[in-house]
Amino acid sequence: MSWGDVGAGALRAAFPLALWGVVAATQAAWRRDGRFLASARMTAIATLALVTVASLAMVGALVSHDFSLHYVAENNARETPTYFSAISLWAALEGSILLWTTILAGAVVYVAWRGTRELPRLATTALALLFAMLSFFLLLVVTPAADPFVRLDAVPLNGRGPNPLLQDHWLMGLHPPLLYLGYVLFSIPFAYAMASLILGEGGDRWMVATRRSALVAWALLGIGIVAGGWWSYNVLGWGGYWAWDPVENAAIMPWLAATAYLHSVMVEEKRRMLRTWNLALVIGTFALTILGTFLTRSGVVNSVHSFSQSAIGPLLLGYLAAVLALSVGLLLWRSARLADSGPVAPISREAVFLFQNVLFVAVTLTVLLGTLYPLAVEALSGDQVSIGSPYFDRVAVPLGLALLFLMGVGPQLPWHGASRATLERQFAAPVVTSGALALVALVVGVRGTAAVLAFALAGFVCATVAQELARGIRARGTLHGESATTAFANLFKRSGRRYGGYVVHVGVAVIALAIAMSQAQAVQAEATLGPGGTMEVAGRTVVFEGLRDVVEPRRTQVVADLRVIDGGGSAPLVAALSYYPNATGAIGSPGIRSSATEDVYAILAAYDGRSRAWATIQIRIIPLVSWLWIGGAIVGIGALIAALPAARARERLVAATVPAGAGAE
Amino acid sequence: MSVARRTTAGASGRRLLLITALAVAVGIGWSALAALGPSAIYYLTPTEAKAKQIAPGTTARLGGQVEVGTLRYDETTRDLRFILADGVTRTLVIGRGAPPALLREGAGAVVEGVFATDGSFRASSVIAKHDEVYAPPSPSQTPPHRTP
Repeated sequence: MSWGDVGAGALRAAFPLALWGVVAATQAAWRRDGRFLASARMTAIATLALVTVASLAMVGALVSHDFSLHYVAENNARETPTYFSAISLWAALEGSILLWTTILAGAVVYVAWRGTRELPRLATTALALLFAMLSFFLLLVVTPAADPFVRLDAVPLNGRGPNPLLQDHWLMGLHPPLLYLGYVLFSIPFAYAMASLILGEGGDRWMVATRRSALVAWALLGIGIVAGGWWSYNVLGWGGYWAWDPVENAAIMPWLAATAYLHSVMVEEKRRMLRTWNLALVIGTFALTILGTFLTRSGVVNSVHSFSQSAIGPLLLGYLAAVLALSVGLLLWRSARLADSGPVAPISREAVFLFQNVLFVAVTLTVLLGTLYPLAVEALSGDQVSIGSPYFDRVAVPLGLALLFLMGVGPQLPWHGASRATLERQFAAPVVTSGALALVALVVGVRGTAAVLAFALAGFVCATVAQELARGIRARGTLHGESATTAFANLFKRSGRRYGGYVVHVGVAVIALAIAMSQAQAVQAEATLGPGGTMEVAGRTVVFEGLRDVVEPRRTQVVADLRVIDGGGSAPLVAALSYYPNATGAIGSPGIRSSATEDVYAILAAYDGRSRAWATIQIRIIPLVSWLWIGGAIVGIGALIAALPAARARERLVAATVPAGAGAE
Repeated sequence: MSVARRTTAGASGRRLLLITALAVAVGIGWSALAALGPSAIYYLTPTEAKAKQIAPGTTARLGGQVEVGTLRYDETTRDLRFILADGVTRTLVIGRGAPPALLREGAGAVVEGVFATDGSFRASSVIAKHDEVYAPPSPSQTPPHRTP
């Protein structure tokens, strides 16, 4: 039996099982019959086992270069190293859908075993919906739409090899699975929300039950986006990390909508408001994950006409339409049970959350408009149009700064409304810090309104967080007699959601600062040099030592050896262009020397093809850019703290006695 | 937190807030729509550009073939010139800086920039066009080889 037989067999067995899962979970929810629930649970385990076997079979086929499979022949070659062979599971459409299906089967098992214990009826209804989604994706992989195990009649001696861009950097092993995990895990809050509407529950049980999965999905998607930027920075070789490309937009849109959701959830928990809004946000987020998959997987981004060339495009679009029709229909049907009321003071935490939501949704819709506009123009007039980054920047930069401001303000305001005294107590120190940092930025030579504002607002956010931490530590010291370090640890242990959230805010402030500085303050120089030639960039001397050719089994490289000399000494730096046999173009491998203050980014732009006598070298000095990746890690750590179950035993005592504004989570 | 303040900040506060939020949303939406048209960059062949009579100064993207025997790059002045052709129309493209390493005569290229009044195209970026087989395969891939 070959890898292909195992994989194809496993998927074909899993499909009817998933369909049975829909029936069993529906029966279990409808008749409240424990035997059906037990069956649904076993079905979930069996389905997960089968799709895992299929995924592993594909990895096995890739690693063992089994070119009898179409997918392997297209995306692998004998020369491909084992690591890049294994991660070619997500190098193309079919494998990506298989990975998606596997993660979704994992989510099904989680809900079947964990969720149904806490909320039997709600979770079982959600389980039926998740089984239905899983059935759809299994349908894709057992039909020609996205069958990964299609065989070739004539087995080639070697395959084409993975796309060069995918075998050039280890981050490709991290970035796509993180995005898919993020995308797929949003299915859980969505399924619970729909289950709640189907059952006619007016409350927020669905939301509380899926708080953690929404947070984890959001964090994984966010880290996946940052990892994608990092990959792009390391591989695409133009010194940037974000270009408002449609495939990038496809990932950022659900993340933006989910960020709005994670915050408005707190308003519903505390104030019993925004019920319809929260449901709309969770529907929107989920729909955007499908839209993202549709945009990246149907080829529609390249040309509207590639849409009809495979079955996957129409199927995904049909799925999106069905999801939207059903969910919006349910929402309208149950709208009478979702009424909420309550006053909103203009200066209160809920008001800040409201504005934050309006801004996040506005950014999401702006990105959506800019992403879909070229498709609409091409479909209607046949003209090919692209929307450049000025459009996106024009909206994203001011709104991003406004959101940064609200991020500092929100946690400092109490629910229900704030008095003047509260405002003074909460904002005096952060505002002073913010002004001081803006001054420091101006003194050290930062120019540009957005960059200086980013400094001021990032300082503002960090100061509010430091103030909250200091107050929390002092309160625990007074109440429980704890030392500062113990109190610090206990704040995170006992109110992980709140303090984890603060850590996330610090991470976002760091990212904002890194973006502002790397965009506004980067310096660039280009020179064509012969061996031994030098160029000056921002106080550094770059020496071009010469070119050499490196021949590897899977690629050949032209390597430029450089030496960067600055006040601290001299260090070698290597920029290269890699040629892969299956690509007409070269892949740039920029030389990057990172430090806490700036990156030296070297690009081999052109070279003498005949005698290797000269090379054109571009050097960019990009300030603070490594803090973008560090900020991503801080966000991840914060989300992890917030997602961990809190030790809640004595939290109430503390929360009830600390000063106003610090009391509410 | 007094009961009195809650009631004064009640229904009217909520309405005020909703109206403000709505105004903000409309403002953002309006500014986005206004920015959309001017930011749209048409992707044309030289023949289409000629037919459409793209005004000098309007950013456009031209796709075509680098005509064999026309690619010139002067290392000292950093002046880059080539003819971009689509079989019917030939357009002189003038850029600055070294051509991307994979730009070859006879191969496809995409240039972004503006037409000058003399009909030549002043490219702000030159991208060598890739083999069509390698369409974006991953969820976050940007087009390779931007040369700003």
